[in-house]
Amino acid sequence: MIDSVMASENYVLAKKLLDAAAFRHELIATNLANVETPGFKRVDLAPDFSQKLGSLVQKGDLDGTRDLAIQHHEDTHAGPARPDGNNIELDRELLELNRNALEYEFLAEYTSNSLQRLKTAITGRVI
Amino acid sequence: MMNLIPAIDVTASALTAEKVKLDVVSQNIANAHTTRGPDGMPYARKIVSFEAELNRAGGLGGATGQGVRVGQITEDKSLGPLVYNPSHPDADAGGMVRMPNVNLAMEMVDLMTASRSYEANLSVVRTARQMAQKALRIGS
Repeated sequence: MIDSVMASENYVLAKKLLDAAAFRHELIATNLANVETPGFKRVDLAPDFSQKLGSLVQKGDLDGTRDLAIQHHEDTHAGPARPDGNNIELDRELLELNRNALEYEFLAEYTSNSLQRLKTAITGRVI
Repeated sequence: MMNLIPAIDVTASALTAEKVKLDVVSQNIANAHTTRGPDGMPYARKIVSFEAELNRAGGLGGATGQGVRVGQITEDKSLGPLVYNPSHPDADAGGMVRMPNVNLAMEMVDLMTASRSYEANLSVVRTARQMAQKALRIGS
């Protein structure tokens, strides 16, 4: 029973995506820290992360998703660079920051609920 | 080591750097009319430049966490305007006084950008704290 929650596809994926969201928060924080650094290019999650994850899920390869590396890349095409070579837009980063935080909250809530269900099953009463 | 609050050191470095910038801007504004410094010359406007700094290797995907630090504080070498004021103690033989090259409009723009970036980084901290709280409540 415990295995069926701990090894269920959604739970494993939620954990992976929580990691990705925490990492993405670090990247956005880096962008906002360097909003005035000349020549700095914005960083973000590598665009192939979600594609790889998607294809692994379709194949049903859960172990593969566990080992999938979460990498970052320099986003050089993020939009017009300023004359000093910096291509960070403050509003865009703040928007992404909030979106990412919401995603993180959702995933944390989901993980929490999965564990709650397990608790309900163990104790036999709804907490 | 994993941070409890994600990316807090990156944001902290940015807050420090923005504060240095605010310091320098306020110094420029304070000395907007200083015609004689320790070297006998009118005050020269100071410019702050930032550079990215690799805080630590690690994170989930390798080297991340590029903080920011104040690269250097340089002096604007351009000459300030000459103002005719023969009664001024620093006036030359022709009654002209060399004023500092501080342009208040430019300083105000710098002040606004620094304070907006400061606010942006503060909101990163706020969001990070909310995320950490959510993570701590998993399972309860």
